[in-house]
Amino acid sequence: MKILVCVKQVYDSPDTLVFNESSGRVEFGSHTVFRMNRYDEYAVEEALRIRERITGVAVDAVSVGPDRVRKTIRRALEMGADHGIHIRTGCETDLDPLERAHLIASLARGRRYDLILTGVMAEDDMQSQVGGLLAGILGFTCATGIISLEMHGNPREILLEREIEGGRRECLTLGFPCVLTIQSGINTPRYPSLSHVLRARSEELELIEAPSPAPSPPLLSVKRFLLPEEGEKGEIITGTPGEKAARLLSILREHSLL
Amino acid sequence: MIETRCYVIALHDNGRVAEETYETAAFARRYVAADPCVVVLSGGGEIEPLAGRLADRTGLTVIGLAGDIVREYCAEAYTASLISFLRKKGNAFVCIPHTARGIDFAPQLSVGIGACCITAVEGAGEGTFIRSVYSGRFRSEVRPETPSAVLTVMPGAFKPEKGAMQGPGSVKIVPLRAFELSTKTRGTREAVHANMTLSRAEVVVSAGRGLGSAENLRLVEMLSGIFPKSAIGATRGVCDLGWLDYSHQIGTTGNTVAPRLYLACGISGAVQHVSGMKNSQLIVAINTDPDASIFRTAHFGIVEDLKVFIPLLVDMYREKHGDGDA
Repeated sequence: MKILVCVKQVYDSPDTLVFNESSGRVEFGSHTVFRMNRYDEYAVEEALRIRERITGVAVDAVSVGPDRVRKTIRRALEMGADHGIHIRTGCETDLDPLERAHLIASLARGRRYDLILTGVMAEDDMQSQVGGLLAGILGFTCATGIISLEMHGNPREILLEREIEGGRRECLTLGFPCVLTIQSGINTPRYPSLSHVLRARSEELELIEAPSPAPSPPLLSVKRFLLPEEGEKGEIITGTPGEKAARLLSILREHSLL
Repeated sequence: MIETRCYVIALHDNGRVAEETYETAAFARRYVAADPCVVVLSGGGEIEPLAGRLADRTGLTVIGLAGDIVREYCAEAYTASLISFLRKKGNAFVCIPHTARGIDFAPQLSVGIGACCITAVEGAGEGTFIRSVYSGRFRSEVRPETPSAVLTVMPGAFKPEKGAMQGPGSVKIVPLRAFELSTKTRGTREAVHANMTLSRAEVVVSAGRGLGSAENLRLVEMLSGIFPKSAIGATRGVCDLGWLDYSHQIGTTGNTVAPRLYLACGISGAVQHVSGMKNSQLIVAINTDPDASIFRTAHFGIVEDLKVFIPLLVDMYREKHGDGDA
């Protein structure tokens, strides 16, 4: 069985982002540190757990982006993935989910993956799209928000539970090939072991250059970025810490909460 | 207003239409087309009452796609059925509630009909749609460059219209073609982690990742201790880290609470969390980051380090009340 895990590199903290007033774009600041999207860590872990349970499983990890994303692919190798693939794009800014999905699909098409895993969403653009788009492009079935995944023996299908509103779960069985987007909490992503870290260091990443410009024009354009709406904020209590505490206590008393 | 053909996809469960469907219909009428059609998919027995209810409440034309393959929700069946229905209709905007089910099939549907896909829409401009990005720090305004689009509409972002002003809409039932599915649905399971203490509490004190470590949970417990009927909540992030178990989780996929007081400690304010607590009567947020989006939800905000502020607040409260337990 061949598994592809799609991992995205995101900023570690939104505090380091800078709004460029003149261009109307959001840019990474000089202090921005990058890491793997947390939801994708659960997807990598789930792929590794499948490999531990079933014989003959190979796990590839792929990421799309500029050279800095190599660090995130390496992280997947350090966790235990067998092979890392970098689809290199020239641009530093975030790609549209559809462009991303097309790039991954053109890689996946020739490689006969049985299972493609990715996180339920990216922490940065919060689109929750790449998994579903990939499935649509490749003609795979797809299930999102997976919180439980079971496969036995020589599997021809997967038993799944998806998380829906209010913590309820939808139970289903899917055949192969399929795309699953993994919800956080399905497992506890491992820390890389020393032996894997050493192995990953010597491992070559496969490099694929993304065609530039993209073969098809994007289906939508980002007009601009906006700050959150003003005037929505509640009252920010100011003063010394002691004054703030006194004010909060009096507010709580006014509301008969204390 | 875009003035194009527009379809609102209704979502439902156990014979009940999801409220988000009405919010999505209101969004569609306001920003996409004056006269959208509502599309509902279900099995033979259920389709007529569902479609009738939708027509009564929205006053819009309702198309019921009826067939055994959509008797239960199934992404594969929904996607294929909607693609074959929509392909005959030409260019259109399709509006779907941004719920766990809506987002489960929206991207595949967009590929199938050659549309762009914009998820979690929470606002609109002149032919543009607005959504939150970068952990809610910014919003992006995007414009479809295709004559067809699939939009998922954020729950709670738009108010449903009050009653059908023009009287009930018409209903048309269209039978769906059956086909073989690779998916087998096996029903739903109730929440594993429903927490009655949380739903009954008058005060919920909640912990976010901003707390820094599991040890600092004692601060949240300390603060919760000054309120008589209180319970401890958490963000999904805190539960994922194992600091608290999932029974404490508040948000889209966890508990929904509406206590008299919600105290958010070290919580950034991700939309998934906010949707589980935004109806609380009084919301107070404490966070070191003045730009945290939770301050837009909170009635009162305090920018302070929790490690300093909570002990100070609790001490001041106890001094006034002569509580000697501390």
